Parts: sequence; structure tokens; C-alpha cells
Amino acid sequence: MSTQLLELDNITKYYGNIIALRDITTSVNAGEVTCVLGDNGAGKSTFIKILAGVHQQTEGTIRLNGQEVRFGSPKEALAAGIATVYQDLAMVPLMSVWRNFFLGSEPVRRFGPLRWIDQDRAREITKSELARMGIDIRDTEQPVGTLSGGERQSVAIARAGYFGAKVLILDEPTSALGVKQSGVVLKRIVEARRQGLAVIFITHNPSHAYPVGDRFLILNRGQSMGNFAKGEISLEELTRLMAGGAELEQLQHELEMAIAGGNGDEGAVGTMTSTPSDS
Amino acid sequence: MSETVLSDSTSPARATAPVDERLAYRSVFQRLLIRPEIGALIGLVGIWVFFWATSVPFGTANAAASILDVAATLGIMAVAVSMLMIGGEFDLSTGAMTGAMGILIILLVKEVGDLGGAGLSLFIAIPISLAVALAIGFFNGWMVEKTLLPSFIVTLGTFFIVKGAKLGFSKLTVDQIQVGRIDEGAGYSFWRPIFAAEWDRTKHQYEYRDVIYTLGLIIGLMIIAVAVFELFFQRRGERRPTGALAFVIGLAGLYGGVAVLHLTDGYGGNLLASVMFGVFGLLAVVGLGYWRYEPVGDRGRLSLDGTVSRPLVLAVVLFALAIAVAMILDATNNESLFFPFTEQGLRATLFLFLIGGSMTLMLIAGIRARRLSITTKTLVNLVSAAMLGLLAFFVRSQSDSIKFRTEAFSVLLILATIVAVWSIAGVLFAERTAIDRAADRLGGRLFIIGSLLVVVAFLAKLLFTTTAEIDAGLASSKFSMRIIWFFGFTAVMVWVLGRTRFGSWTFAVGGNKEAARQVGVPAARTKTQLFMLTAGAAWLVGMLLAFRLNTIQASTGDGQEFEYIIAAVVGGTLLTGGYGTALGGALGAIIMAMAQLGIPYSRWNSDWRFMFLGAILLIAVVANRFIRNKAEALRR
Repeated sequence: MSTQLLELDNITKYYGNIIALRDITTSVNAGEVTCVLGDNGAGKSTFIKILAGVHQQTEGTIRLNGQEVRFGSPKEALAAGIATVYQDLAMVPLMSVWRNFFLGSEPVRRFGPLRWIDQDRAREITKSELARMGIDIRDTEQPVGTLSGGERQSVAIARAGYFGAKVLILDEPTSALGVKQSGVVLKRIVEARRQGLAVIFITHNPSHAYPVGDRFLILNRGQSMGNFAKGEISLEELTRLMAGGAELEQLQHELEMAIAGGNGDEGAVGTMTSTPSDS
Repeated sequence: MSETVLSDSTSPARATAPVDERLAYRSVFQRLLIRPEIGALIGLVGIWVFFWATSVPFGTANAAASILDVAATLGIMAVAVSMLMIGGEFDLSTGAMTGAMGILIILLVKEVGDLGGAGLSLFIAIPISLAVALAIGFFNGWMVEKTLLPSFIVTLGTFFIVKGAKLGFSKLTVDQIQVGRIDEGAGYSFWRPIFAAEWDRTKHQYEYRDVIYTLGLIIGLMIIAVAVFELFFQRRGERRPTGALAFVIGLAGLYGGVAVLHLTDGYGGNLLASVMFGVFGLLAVVGLGYWRYEPVGDRGRLSLDGTVSRPLVLAVVLFALAIAVAMILDATNNESLFFPFTEQGLRATLFLFLIGGSMTLMLIAGIRARRLSITTKTLVNLVSAAMLGLLAFFVRSQSDSIKFRTEAFSVLLILATIVAVWSIAGVLFAERTAIDRAADRLGGRLFIIGSLLVVVAFLAKLLFTTTAEIDAGLASSKFSMRIIWFFGFTAVMVWVLGRTRFGSWTFAVGGNKEAARQVGVPAARTKTQLFMLTAGAAWLVGMLLAFRLNTIQASTGDGQEFEYIIAAVVGGTLLTGGYGTALGGALGAIIMAMAQLGIPYSRWNSDWRFMFLGAILLIAVVANRFIRNKAEALRR
């Protein structure tokens, strides 16, 4: 299996005496989406931070293209081609789309000692790169702050792809978005996969992960609950595993009881046409 | 925001098309209105008009020289402080730094000698003082970055250190609270012209000045008018040469009108010139439009709903009220210590505010009428033109001062003509509703050429005098070298902020520092460089002060840092960082200088100056927020 782009082998992380992650093993191929699922406190953030170079694993190895690597800083991870799009987006709201797209890596023209940004080229590339990702931005001059959440995520993904990322880590890109906007972002993920990027998609929403994922890693309390290929697991099972199996079944049962009870009350009044569960 | 197209198959093709159909086209005026400087520009014109109306010397070349002189040192600092504030930091040591650099250079030149032989040559002292300034700026930046304390606190400390050092070193070396005589330094004759050369306009006479002024102004304004047409109206597919011919004949006729006005004196000549202006002006406008632009298709019906009729009626009421105020109150009663509270002052102030309010309402009505129909818009514009014309003649009839009878009268009449021509053009030719790069390029170039001609015209008027003026006993007035430093520094910084990576990074570190750092912007370095830029600007101002005054007080510059911050805020820079412009800072400085000098020019008690400045600051902040909200709304 040396064709795998990124392999993680028995990754373990301690914060002092707290075990944040224990023996996590998974892999990501180019042109594949690996979804990392887990509820709050499952260890997703620690997982990202190790890959992004913010923290280092206590035990275990990371192999990139078969070579063992260890990232000392976010910069090293970025240089190795691992780009992370954080939830808070790394965008400057008052600056225009194209300035944000090229921020930190602006194309320049020079005359003698003078150097200035090649604005026409930057605008053009921004427009065409976004279009390549299927993002149709109206005006690259408009401030990023006026874009919707989904559009902002999309710009961040396109930027990571343009600047040579091989592995793209997305930290909960859909968690703050509505249904339609989430759909926009999921489309970008599919598009990034089609263009050959290896995508690690972190989420706590299995119904977002299931349609786009090729591989699912489920975390619970810092431990792997399983590592499945797409054919091996159904959405229902994924959801069940993610919430810790039996616990969710118990919860579902309780909820059904509550709702049934609520319906009974409404029925007793007899005039209501809609029930709370409908609304 | 939610209309983002979900289907991937069509969108790439659309994105590569030159125009995106969901993108509402913004006309030249709308594009202009979303610039951050626009509030400052409007304020500049407003305050200029206010003081021009209330004071005698305002508007003369002499006053211009004095205002620019004050604005220059203030403005150099305001531009640098604007950039620092865009980068999200403050520097309270800037004011004290200007004086400190002046003292430092003088001490280096004069007093270092006491330690061993002669003082330093200016050729050595100037680089040393610059290095010291940059080092202090670096220290500020380094402290802020290392300690992560608010720059307000860190630079407050630097401020006291610099302030103390100024006094301490002055007392230590010369035992006085001032140091002086930079002119005794070696190399003074070389450096003085660079920092303090002066241009005395009364010593430069040029008899053709008024010819250049008039021609430059007229031709420049005409080119600007054509540029505005080109930017605003829809080009037609096939040009019509007959229109071009009519346009040229119209222009020639207009020039003839100017000649008639110039050569004749009296009622008949004025009447002939007016008729020529009207006829040939119309011919030129219609010819230009027929030659190049698409005729308007559907003019729509006249429809006045509440959104338009309400401001329209209110504007007319305010206008009538202004006229009434001017008639009722006594213009000659000006016996008071504090001008604005005399009857004359009240009359002028009320009149200006009422007229200003009336015109603003007309503008609002005009903008809203655009949405209804072309006919409605034209009607509102014609009412505006009529009101301006009426105002022109009213001002002329009411005032006995030459200034109002000639200057105000002609400016108002020209404004009325422009509005009238604009409404006629608007009813004849179709507005552009899509981006046309070729037309934008030509229009932009014509606009620059026209503006340059106007600038040349004004420069000629400002820099030269005629023998007749000298014979009439014109007072001497000098333009200082610092004005060139001010303009040059502003121009360079506008370029740096808008075009370079450093400029982009400045906005980024001020807008969202963490985000900037994540994508590889050297945030700490950028901020430190901004502090060094500010200190460098303070050094420049220190040099300008030292070479001008020859003697620097230990307290020079203390407390000025807040004036720089006010100028930056008046210029549209956001206190919280991430938004603003360098040009805005320069405009803010000119506004402050006008306020500072306008008060004594108007013979008001200048003890009230700071009240005035405070009021300007508050008005500017509120106005800027209002304009920014409007601009944001316009973007969506």
C-alpha cells in the first residue's frame, strides 16, 4: 500500500496525563475523501492539530508518500503540501476577494528596485481559479465580509488548492452553515477530490460526511471506533457508531416517548392541527 | 447572498464571460461614492465653502499658502498615522517625536562639538537623526509585538520617555528649554533648500498667467465633461460624423462666448455671451451625444411617489426659508465678540445650513427619482438647476461684497448650467448599464488629462502674480517646500498602500491578524515597519521644523499626536484598523488646517478652536459611518 499519500500509524497524543488520542490508524489517498467523525470531545481537534503541525504526536508515525515525517510547525506542514482550512477561515473580512485569495503570496511585477502587486493578473487568476472550483463569484473586488459562509469556505478551499496543497484538511466546514450553504461546500469538496487532492473532512454531521466520503474514521473519547471504506457501512450505522452506539439508541427511545406523549396531549385538546414534532 | 448557483456545469462558462449578469452595474458616481475618502472630500468642500463665505481672506492665494503650510506637517504625520491605524495600532509618541528630532539634529550639529572639537556636519547629523528615529519606531514595534500589550500603553510610555529626553537633554546641554541655530551647522546651505525653500509669488510675475488660467480651466473642464459623458453614457454601435461636426462647432462657439465676455464690458456683451453659451453649449452637448451615444429608449412616465415628493417639497420649503432668513435678518449688525452669535453671523450660518440642507434633499430626491423613470429624474434635476440659478441671482442681489457678486455668482451659475446640461443629456442619451472597458479607459484618460489642465491652471494662478496686482499693493505670500514633501509623501504612500504587498499586508494585519499570519503574512514585521514608517515621518517633520524655525522648543509637538489621529479619522480611517486610506489622512489634515486658520480669518475668537475641532471630529465619525453603511448597502 505504498501508493497511499498520507498514512497514520498508531497515533497517540498525551496532554500531560490526559490521553487525547489513542492508537489512531488511517490513510488518505490522492483523489479520496477521508471523513473524520466524532462528537464534541472525541479528539477531532487534536487529530487536525497533529496533521497541521500545531502539535506533535506522542507516539506513532505519520508517513507522507511513504516517507516518515514529523511537522514541527504549521509552516512545515504547509511546505509539505498539507493545507488546513480552519473553521474561523483565515480571511480578512474587510479585504476584497482577490486580495484575500493571494494574501501572503501576491504576484508582483518589478521595475528596478520597485515591486508592486500585479493586480490584473491576481484578479484574473482569482476569478478563473474560483470558476475552476465551480464557484461563481460575482465580483472579485467585493469584500470577503459580504460573502456568505459557504462562499467564504469555498474561496478558502480554492485558495488552498491553487497554492499547491496535496492534502486538504477541512475543520468542520459545514457546522455553522444552513442546509443550502452546506450543499455548496460539499460540492467544493467533491470538486477538490476530482482534481486529485486528498481531502480530510472533519465533521460531526454524518449526513454531510456520508455522501462525499470514501473512507470514514470514527472517533469517540480519543479512540477509534472503526475505520471503514464506503461500501462497508451504512449511514444509519455510521450515525449510531458516532454517538457511541447504545447511548444513541437509548436517547432515540426516550425522544420517541416524549414526542408520543406530546402528541397525546395535543390530541386531547382536539383543536390543534399541527403538532410540535411537525414544526 | 443565497443565489449562488448550485449547478456546476454552467457556472465556469459564465464566470469566464466578461460580464456577470448578476452583478448590478455601478455607474461612475456610484463607484466614486464607495471610496473611503469620499466623506473627507465632501467635508473639505463644505468647510471650504463655509469659511470662504464667512471670512474675507479665505480663497486668496495667500490663505492657500498658509493653509497648506499648516496642513503639510500635520498631513505628513496624518498619512503615516492613518497607515499605522489601518494596521491596527496607535502611536502616541508621534507628536513628541517631531520636536525631538528637531532638537536632536540641532544638538548634533551644535553641541556635540563641546565634547570634542566642532559639531557634526549636517551630512552626518541628518542620517544619524534618521537612524535614531527609525530605531525608536523599531523599539515601539518590537515592544508591542513582544509584550502583546496594547500599543496605546507602550507608546504612551515612549511618549513620556521622548518628552522627558527632549527637556532633559536641552537643559543638560544648553541649560535652556530651547535649542537653536541649526544655520551654523556645516552643510546648511546645501540642506536648507531641500527642507525649507520658499517660493515668493510676489517675486514671480508672469503677464500671461490669467490667459493660462482661463484657458486651462475652460479646456480642462470641457475635457472632463467629455470624459464624464464617455464614462456615463452607452456608446452607439455606429458613430455619426455629423454629430462630431456639431460638437466642434459648439465648442468653437463656446470659446467665442468666452472671448466676447472677455473683450466686451457691459450689459450688451454679457447678454450676447450668455446667449452664445446657451446656444453653442446645447449644440456641443447634443452634437457629442448624437455622434457617440445611444439615444435613450423608454423615458417612462412621470410618477412622483412619496419617496421623491417628500424630499422635493421639503427642499423647496428649506430653500424658501433660507431666502426668508436672509431677507429678515440684518446683514450689517456684526457687533459682538463672537461672530457666530451676531445677527450677521446667524444670518450667514442659517442661510448656509438651510441651503445646504435643501441641496442635499434635492440630491436625495434625484437619486430616488432615478428608480422611477427618466422623465421623473429629469424633472427633479431641472428643479435643482432652477433653484441653483435662482440662488445665484439672489446672492448677487443681496450682497455688496465683490466676492459674492462675482465669484459666488459665477460658481453658482456654472453649477446651475452643469445640472441643467446634465438633465438634458440624461433625457436624450441612454445611461450605460454594463462595463465597457474601452470606454472606461478612454474616459479615464480624458479625465486625467482634463484634471491635469485644471491643476496647471490653478498652479499658474497660485504661483505667479501679475504686475497689475503688485502695483495694487498685493501682500507677499510664500509657498514652502514642505508642501511638496507633503504631496510627494502622500502620493508615495497612496501607491504603497494600494499597490504593494506591504500595503495589502497592512490592511490584513489590521483587519484580522491571526488570519494574516496563518496564510504567511509576516505580521510582526509588517507592524514593526509601520511603526518605523511613522517614526520616519516624524523625523521628516522634525527636519522641516528645524530648518524653518531654526530654534526648537522642548515642548514642540507635544499633544499633536491627537490631532494626527483626528485627521486620520476625519479622513475615513477606522479606529479599530483594517479600513481606511492614506489620501483620506491628507484630506483630513487639510480640513483641520482650514478650520484652524478659518477661525481667525473669520475674526472669531480663536479660544474656541478646540471646540470646533471636537465638533468636526464627531461629525466626521458619524458621517463616515453613515457613508460606509450606505456604501456597503450599495455593494450588495
